[in-house]
Amino acid sequence: MVPVGACLALSAVLFAIGLFGFLSRRNLILMLVSVEIMLNAVNVSFAAFSHHLSEARGQVMALFVIAVAAGEAAIGLGLVLALSRNRQGVNVEDVTQLKW
Amino acid sequence: MTNPGLIIFYYLAAASIASAALAVTRHKPIHSLLWVLSLFLHVAGIFLLMGAEFLAAVQVIVYAGAILIFYLFFMMLLDLPREAAAPRFSAHWPLSVLAGAVFATLIWRAQDLPWLPPPGAPNPTSGNLSSVGRELFTDLAVPFEIVSLVLLAAIVGAVVMAKRKTEP
Repeated sequence: MVPVGACLALSAVLFAIGLFGFLSRRNLILMLVSVEIMLNAVNVSFAAFSHHLSEARGQVMALFVIAVAAGEAAIGLGLVLALSRNRQGVNVEDVTQLKW
Repeated sequence: MTNPGLIIFYYLAAASIASAALAVTRHKPIHSLLWVLSLFLHVAGIFLLMGAEFLAAVQVIVYAGAILIFYLFFMMLLDLPREAAAPRFSAHWPLSVLAGAVFATLIWRAQDLPWLPPPGAPNPTSGNLSSVGRELFTDLAVPFEIVSLVLLAAIVGAVVMAKRKTEP
């Protein structure tokens, strides 16, 4: 029996690592990968609550999160592909047209 | 620490955190993606430990098998040799460390509040595939259909955005 608090702590730490990666990496593709890490952290907490409450719905929600992650990968990489056709590289610091 | 499940859980949790930390800090993008693969497989082990066999299978097949391979394929297709040579973090990365640390501390502290509902009645069938499938196609059938629409919109959007504009 795994304590639910330990799972939530793991989920929080994984989410924080993903948040750090999203905010600090310069490569757009690795920023998207950091979003995947965050979504995975949320899945861990869904599974923990599903186990804790003996309720299958938490797992169904985690399945929905995985589906949204797949959509996010497709859309995000399509955007990166369109961006890399117009400029050299996928550095997020080069994309400042809408910044100011 | 006589419970073997607990020891396995702590191993999987430590390996997941180490993999995630390495994934966001490695210099070469391919190395990062391979560490994310390790993270996903360890998280699948955690799902197995929590009795979510179907979720663990989906994690390995869809996340590690499809999404991550898609990222790897894309990274190798774009072939960005300059990316590995450039600095990996932007100039404000200490602020990002601060944001992550504050978030983790907040969530960690939030666990101590007495909001956690009491554990449900032990139900040996609650995690298995048949109960998940029953929930998916009875009570949660409408969200399931909406997710299929989300995936359809993602497919169409990806095709539209990645399409090369051709003059007629």
